[in-house]
Amino acid sequence: MIGREEVIRMATLARLELSEEEIELYTRDLNSFLVSGKKLQQVDVSGITGTSHAVSVIHALRRDEVGESLPREAVLAEGPEVLDGYFKVPRIVEGQE
Amino acid sequence: MRELAELLQTGQVSSTELVIACLEQIKQTDGVINAFLTVDEQGALEQAAQSDARRARGEALSPWDGIPVAIKDNISTRGLRTTCASRILRNYHPVYDATVVERLKQAGLPILGKTNLDEFAMGSSTEYSAFGVTKNPHDPARVAGGSSGGSAAAVAAGQVPWALGTDTGGSIRQPSSFCGVVGLKPTYGRVSRYGVVALAPSLDQVGPLAKTVEEAAALFSLIAGEDPRDATSAGAPAFQVPRWNAAVVQGLRVGVPEEFFSSGLNAEVEAAVRRSLRTLEEQGAVLKPISLATNDYAIDTYLTLVTAEASSCLARFDGVRYGERVAAPDANTMFAKTRGAGFGAEVKRRIMLGTYVLSASHYEAYYEQAQRVRTLIKLEIARAFEQVDVIITPTTPSTAFRIGEKRNPLEMYLSDLYTATANLSGICALSLPCGYDSQGLPIGLQIMGDHYQEELVFQVGRVVEASVERGPKVEV
Repeated sequence: MIGREEVIRMATLARLELSEEEIELYTRDLNSFLVSGKKLQQVDVSGITGTSHAVSVIHALRRDEVGESLPREAVLAEGPEVLDGYFKVPRIVEGQE
Repeated sequence: MRELAELLQTGQVSSTELVIACLEQIKQTDGVINAFLTVDEQGALEQAAQSDARRARGEALSPWDGIPVAIKDNISTRGLRTTCASRILRNYHPVYDATVVERLKQAGLPILGKTNLDEFAMGSSTEYSAFGVTKNPHDPARVAGGSSGGSAAAVAAGQVPWALGTDTGGSIRQPSSFCGVVGLKPTYGRVSRYGVVALAPSLDQVGPLAKTVEEAAALFSLIAGEDPRDATSAGAPAFQVPRWNAAVVQGLRVGVPEEFFSSGLNAEVEAAVRRSLRTLEEQGAVLKPISLATNDYAIDTYLTLVTAEASSCLARFDGVRYGERVAAPDANTMFAKTRGAGFGAEVKRRIMLGTYVLSASHYEAYYEQAQRVRTLIKLEIARAFEQVDVIITPTTPSTAFRIGEKRNPLEMYLSDLYTATANLSGICALSLPCGYDSQGLPIGLQIMGDHYQEELVFQVGRVVEASVERGPKVEV
């Protein structure tokens, strides 16, 4: 069983603010998901390596050439808050201003 | 589309006339259907005028120059709003075009607008769109399917000749099946994902939706092939519309997996698919019963992997570089509030599940286990293609369900029961209409082919298509 505390911990890890109702809802959902996860755990996979790529290809490298970059102004125009050519964020590190 | 291309070529119709006809049909029908999130009337008319000017100079960029197209709203279009049907991106205007969009523009196709989807492509009905559900043109009380429901409904309702969608576990094929159109999930890596907002990068593919197999093949030919900006497309072959040849089915070995015809399959769907199988047999195909026992694990494997990958991919939506922000005095609170307010319920559910299966204490038991079961699924598919040339199944266990009918998320996930295996194993799969049920709803048939076997899958699809009677015309 997954408890409320663990759900809150997951939400903190995922940087996701949840309401009281959502905490209850996702506690229920995570627990019902566990049932299907348990079904997978019954499958014998001894000696089997995991697949992370659907189609096997030789690792692809391209030439290291300088290409065109996106225009700075256009990219910054999408930012919720920008200052002096940078994205502006609230304080991250504690300390004096 | 061949007709449209000919009419354009001979000057009997102009691109501008085509775009105006599409805009008119959208005005008439989209109040009910809700297939489009953004209609770019001005942009499409400008691109059409340029196309007409090119044609007049005899400089058409491709045979399809001037035929309008719609794009699913999780594919980036430069300067044209791209929302992923999410509140967090409701005013986002990409700075660049996805490679697939760039290629369609290079072929001269005017971009008509952006189509509705389940938020970030997470869902099977478009009911999880932040901007309202897309209705099925065959019955507006029913879903169009999802997540590419807007693209499928727009094609079915005659709002646009063809459209692009994305497919991570069935998101092109299932809505194609529900709306009675043709949709292809290409081989993993055959189409560039550059500029496509990722749901699960090891499963996502972009593909075409159209009215006929030939049209779907034509649209696929414009987007397929290697792109230096997507390393997973390395070595991917381009595609040309083949010379159609019904003789390909003579001696063709068609795998029929018993697990896809078992309990839970609607009887009318089964009857229609079996009728098409008999038709193929009459034309010389050899039906071979096969077993794909690992399909029993497909949905659980898919769910584990897709939530894990999604929770990682969606970390980029943090209110810093784009999208909506909810202000807060410190960064972590700003991230949490922004994401809490910007994401809908299903997106949050998948982020929570994905965070859980990737967390240190559960990683091995869930995520790694699912990756290993995925290998078993892949191996079984590979063995099947040693014995058969294609595998034919129903696309979905039922026809389109009613809006609001599936309230339990686990029940919703089951509508991908027959489609997720193709994504997990990376093979290509086509859905096309093979009949209608007693309520007049379209039934979809799925043809799966081995890696890079799109041409064969289209050839077989065309034979099936020719044997199926046209269903009731959509009235909207």
